[in-house]
Amino acid sequence: MTTLPTGERQAVGKQPHDPSTEQPSGRREFLRTVGGGAVAAAAAAVGVSAGLPGARADVRVETDAEYGMLIDLRRCIGCQACSVACKAEADVPMTVARSWVEYTEKGHYPNVSRTFLPRLCNHCSAPHCVRACPTGATYKRPQDGIVVIDQGICIGCLYCAQACPYSVRFLNPVTRFADKCDLCIHRVSNGVVPSCVNTCQGRARIFGDVNDPESEISQALARNPVNVLRRGMGTEPNVYYIGLDFTDEQTKRPGEYVRVTTHQGNRTRRG
Amino acid sequence: METHLMWSWPIYWYLFLAGIGAGATTISAAVLWRGPGGNFGPRYFDVAKLGALIGPLPVIIGTGFLIFELGRPFRAFNIMVSNLWYAPLNPSPMNFGGWMLLPYGVFGILYAAAFLPWARWFPGGFGASAERLAAGARKPLSMIMAPLSIATAVYTAVLLGAIPSRPLWNSPVIAALFTVSAFSTGIAAIMLAQRLTWKPNGDAQAERHFQNSGQVLTAADMILIATELFVIVLFFMYSQLTVGDVRYAVEVLLPGGELGGLFWWGLVGVGLLLPFFVELYFILRTTRGGRAFHVPYAIEILVPVAIMIGGFILRYVIVVGGQLTGPVGL
Repeated sequence: MTTLPTGERQAVGKQPHDPSTEQPSGRREFLRTVGGGAVAAAAAAVGVSAGLPGARADVRVETDAEYGMLIDLRRCIGCQACSVACKAEADVPMTVARSWVEYTEKGHYPNVSRTFLPRLCNHCSAPHCVRACPTGATYKRPQDGIVVIDQGICIGCLYCAQACPYSVRFLNPVTRFADKCDLCIHRVSNGVVPSCVNTCQGRARIFGDVNDPESEISQALARNPVNVLRRGMGTEPNVYYIGLDFTDEQTKRPGEYVRVTTHQGNRTRRG
Repeated sequence: METHLMWSWPIYWYLFLAGIGAGATTISAAVLWRGPGGNFGPRYFDVAKLGALIGPLPVIIGTGFLIFELGRPFRAFNIMVSNLWYAPLNPSPMNFGGWMLLPYGVFGILYAAAFLPWARWFPGGFGASAERLAAGARKPLSMIMAPLSIATAVYTAVLLGAIPSRPLWNSPVIAALFTVSAFSTGIAAIMLAQRLTWKPNGDAQAERHFQNSGQVLTAADMILIATELFVIVLFFMYSQLTVGDVRYAVEVLLPGGELGGLFWWGLVGVGLLLPFFVELYFILRTTRGGRAFHVPYAIEILVPVAIMIGGFILRYVIVVGGQLTGPVGL
């Protein structure tokens, strides 16, 4: 995880989701002028979370660009090249993973299938982890929408890891900070795609700005039936899938054979 | 099973110890307010004193566990500062908890200090003036401690309940359960301490007052245990009358679940039903049977211990069970 000095933070304008009440960046600009980045970020956080009547419980963070990923599961062959590339790129210790591929086996011979589900941080638009963090160490970057962890502030309490519905956060056993996928922030801020996208053998991953209607990912999202994980948690994820199968051990039909291998240490989909 | 728990023993020990401490100071402050006119009669001061002296220590030890649990313990105070220097509160319940535990620790130590025998320790003028100061400070400090203690008791569950991705925790019933359990274990700690510190000196009237305060504590504890059982029923009703995540998550506590045996035998059996019926027997023997309230020494020790074991098992099964379960499906 890239260490970002606190001063680099800028205003994260938190606004309700309803577009009709969305204000132009007037307040954001004002706060930015008045107090500089960090001040405005927390002011917005405190102000909005105090509760807007009738607004959604989760606070959506508006960003200039919104980096996301579209993974075409029809092209995924489960080779784990992305997992390996991530391990190497971010120097992720053994026993934990920022990126992994889950295998789902189902059916009875001869009607069987094994499908693959590459996983990474969803860089949600309404992230639960950001609301849970007691220190303000984790936040959604206003310029590109990447949810980052400021290692200068993080205390490693793992409240964010409990709050994440996708189990992507963990305690890095080497640095002792909360850790997770940062969309290869050092690469994407220099105009290069993340390592998992770069290495994908089947070209299953498309990376880009979902706020920009001209981007490849936005066009692909518009042209394909897409879905996200655990939509009901209200997190508004920015990692989309084509051909997503929601089959799971907990919700299988009676008599159906389903086996899920997460390849994420000894964590299950529930934990 | 425990190898992949992100929060393990420091968390449930903290929740248990903070519950005892917060419960004991709540009872102490309430008894001190009521004064000698209450049910405790002339022993009210001793009960308040025991609660005040018990209170802060477990909370401080538990907070030490919490800090030990952090990836970076030396940065613990970061939870009390946000990135905004003039408004240190942020939406995280953990931040709120830090801001509540600090005054609880400070005022809890002061409140306990107000009951210490200063005059006996320092026979000179310092002891006398410290005693006068303590006597004047007790009531105002108890007025601060009562809300702080209740907030500490409730907060332990709010921390867990604020996370939608942990359906077992994300329930307002957990807050009620933990609060009632905190008061119940706090009373148990006072009962235990009162029994252990009691030295019979042959004074029949003092002995009668001692038995009377034991009876009041026992009756109060019995009512709290009954409330706790009722809240547990509510918890399972709530989970069974809904669909989805909570219903799947609560399976871990139902008979046959991974923690079902511990929950039903350990908490409901040993921690709640057993002390409830033992207490009920001795209370009824006095109120209905007309006999003097007298409990054998061994039972008067074992009942509070069973209640505290139950309180610990409650924290354990909720903390561990919450982490074994999550949102269902993908």
